[in-house]
Amino acid sequence: MSEHHITPLKTYLAVAGTLFFLTAVTVWVSYFDFGSFNIIIAMGVATMKASIVALFFMHLLWDDKKNLTMFVMSLMFLGIFITVTLLDTGFRGGVNSEVEYPINNRATFYDSLPLTDTHGHPVDEHSADQHGEDEDHH
Amino acid sequence: MSHDNSSPKFLQHHFHDVEQQYETAKLGMWAFILTEVLTFGGLFVAYVVYRSWYPEMFVGANLLLDVNKGLLNTIVLITSSLTMVLAVWAIQKKNQKLSLFMLIATFLFAFMFLGIKYLEYSHKFEVGQLPGEYYSYMGPEIAHLNNPHIFFSIYFIMTGLHGLHVAIGMGLIAWLIYATAKGNLNSEYYTPMEMIGIFWHLVDLIWIYLFPLFYLI
Amino acid sequence: MAENQKQNYLTHPKGIMSWLLTLDHKRIGLMYLFGGIIFFFLGGVLALGMRLELAAPGNDFVSNDTYNNMYTLHGAIMIFLFIIPAIPGALGNILLPLMLGAKDVAFPRLNLASFYIYTIGALFVMYTIISGGVDTGWTFYTPYSTTSTSNVIPMTMGIFVIGFSSILTGLNFIATIHKMRIPGLTWYKLPLFVWALYGTSLVQITATPVIAITMVLLILERLLGIGIFDPALGGDPVLYQHFFWFYSHPAVYIMILPAFGIISEIIPVHSRKKVWGYKFIAFSTLSIAFIGFLVWGHHMFTSGQSVFSQIVFSFITYFVGIPTGVKIFSWMLTMYKGQVSFTPPMLYALSFLFLFTIGGLTGIFLGAVALDIHLHDTYFVVAHFHYVMQGGTIIAFLGGLHHWWPKSMGTMYNQTVASICCLGVFLGFNGTFFPQFLLGLRGMPRRYATYDQQFAELHNYSSFWSGILGLSIFISIMNLLWSLRKNNKLDPGTNPWGGMTLEWTHTTSPPHPHNFEEEPVLEHGPYDYDKVIVEPTFKK
Repeated sequence: MSEHHITPLKTYLAVAGTLFFLTAVTVWVSYFDFGSFNIIIAMGVATMKASIVALFFMHLLWDDKKNLTMFVMSLMFLGIFITVTLLDTGFRGGVNSEVEYPINNRATFYDSLPLTDTHGHPVDEHSADQHGEDEDHH
Repeated sequence: MSHDNSSPKFLQHHFHDVEQQYETAKLGMWAFILTEVLTFGGLFVAYVVYRSWYPEMFVGANLLLDVNKGLLNTIVLITSSLTMVLAVWAIQKKNQKLSLFMLIATFLFAFMFLGIKYLEYSHKFEVGQLPGEYYSYMGPEIAHLNNPHIFFSIYFIMTGLHGLHVAIGMGLIAWLIYATAKGNLNSEYYTPMEMIGIFWHLVDLIWIYLFPLFYLI
Repeated sequence: MAENQKQNYLTHPKGIMSWLLTLDHKRIGLMYLFGGIIFFFLGGVLALGMRLELAAPGNDFVSNDTYNNMYTLHGAIMIFLFIIPAIPGALGNILLPLMLGAKDVAFPRLNLASFYIYTIGALFVMYTIISGGVDTGWTFYTPYSTTSTSNVIPMTMGIFVIGFSSILTGLNFIATIHKMRIPGLTWYKLPLFVWALYGTSLVQITATPVIAITMVLLILERLLGIGIFDPALGGDPVLYQHFFWFYSHPAVYIMILPAFGIISEIIPVHSRKKVWGYKFIAFSTLSIAFIGFLVWGHHMFTSGQSVFSQIVFSFITYFVGIPTGVKIFSWMLTMYKGQVSFTPPMLYALSFLFLFTIGGLTGIFLGAVALDIHLHDTYFVVAHFHYVMQGGTIIAFLGGLHHWWPKSMGTMYNQTVASICCLGVFLGFNGTFFPQFLLGLRGMPRRYATYDQQFAELHNYSSFWSGILGLSIFISIMNLLWSLRKNNKLDPGTNPWGGMTLEWTHTTSPPHPHNFEEEPVLEHGPYDYDKVIVEPTFKK
């Protein structure tokens, strides 16, 4: 199988470097708030990283194009699944407004759950209220 | 023409030549990757739908995850992807020792990933950030938001399924280490290593999406 | 010749282990056939039991709970254990490498694994039946499936496991069709059955992973209350239906596409005429496979999904009719001015054309939102999908079985009995299911053990003919098995229908263990009846 394409070492190292760099970028960007663009930026960077992995590490760039087609097809069907489902879940309530949101917007078991601190230990309601009042005084 | 004595022993009887066998294995592997993408795809759909219904809750709940551990895991997994691809590169270059070394490194990185994941999970279990009805965390950051247990359901199922793939990948890589050490895989025949490599990169590729979806946005 | 006769895949190698551990696609195909027929029988008995209960309006034979179990198991067994694996797993496995001139499928070990995964899934289903059944309907809709006390988990586990078997078969076939063809066998020279299997396999690998993850989510919902599908926990039961039908609508095409493939083989061979519109049939297969992914919401018109998506789904649903119509017309034009011989396979193919057309056209009724609101969950739907699944797929399967039986088993069944059975199946089928269209139009809902007196006459009629249908299918299978008796072997060189594809022209019946004694050289296309004369040969 010696006739197979052997990618030079430099390419692999450059690819890994780019992946680390893009990881840094996406974490750094997440400290700023761009509103609804947060998702677009994060997914854009992730897609760049994923394409690099697929093209270079998974050799799709040099492979038989059937394999690339297979991969693109999987993304296409996933795209169909997401968009067409959203056509329903994003547009409910046109006729009956009560079905616009999930039936139980707050599941009933939350009513019996005690409030907790950040370690998950229950705090009693009274001290939690006082804490709130303290903050008001400040 | 394929049954003369000169045909290599790894060539299965129903193929004409080594090239056909290699190409077939690769196409089969990519068909398998397609099924993997769609398996995770179902969970991505659940994520997208619930995020569109509970945008504030998702933003609030992802602050409860530890970005540093997630980032560390991302770096570990990308590095392991690099060592995996270098293992294939080394064996193509007829350097079996380097290949073996790289495989062992990949295995260790995979182990490290699961170790960090274990630390994360055990913290979640401690504070009650659990999926579904077992959810009990009502800390001040989240108590006012609706249905955070759904976020943790999706988080645990997606990262759990991903973790399962890492564990399966470790098993496969362990087998590769054995086969390479025994000399069954060499520069003439390394198809299994390349195929398991593709699987391993897929595991990396899925994490590349999971990391921002759960930890960053 | 005598020596040749010994060298076939049925007799060589010998021993039970050589069957259980075989990597030979033909033997694996026969094992699938065996498993499929067993579950076909089981599902059929359940169906006849239901018809017996429905013969009279009251609860005279089984209780309501038992009836719920019966229709659930009938649906699940027929779909997941028989129809989906039967044609690709049995006929596809036996024929695909033969049609490609290959020695085996691309991954023989994976093929065997896929059969055993199917067996494990079947064991889960058997466990469900023994431990008390399941009463949710084969669709497992939430929230009932998350609260029902019946055995939902083992049943869904079974479906999860069988899904992997289906995925592995699809993956194997795709690699086989792409890479295992003999030189010169280009895409447009492939038999149309291969195209059909290719389309089926694409659907199998793209849709089946989604049912696997859906079943996992359903099991987790029951075990952990994850709240994704359960409305009490903030989940959305309609989302479950999206997940379920994203698989199960394409699964309809996993069931029907191979049937189209079989019909595309039977009709030109038994009409002795080149197939009309080869490329139309080939590409309509692929476009049905693709459009099938865009229409799943038409199962959910009354579920409370958004009006916008109802309109979109309804609109796209009509597009399925175009490639399907193209196929029907191509088959009819193939028969036109051909020398049609009314052999048992051809009789099945003709029944298929008639019944599937009714099934397809009533599908257009149901695709219209306004009409579907009235017809949803009535017997109209039951009749429609039985016309497609049984009148389409199972009839084509029986036709294919009769067509390739001499090839795969090396014996010929009694053709007169087979033809009479085919007529019995056709009449019994119409007698059973046509009244159900009328019942549905009059508002008889599905899935009830009892009904109002006004429906009694039609139900009674339907029950009577279902007996004829069951009996005819049973006798036709027995007729096939009876041909396996001793001293009934055909001459290995026999080509009873004058087929032109490689499995007829280049190998013996039954085939050599390695399919071909030497690699076949392609001499003509699969349906070149206008250029080459292949006479039917039939001798004992």
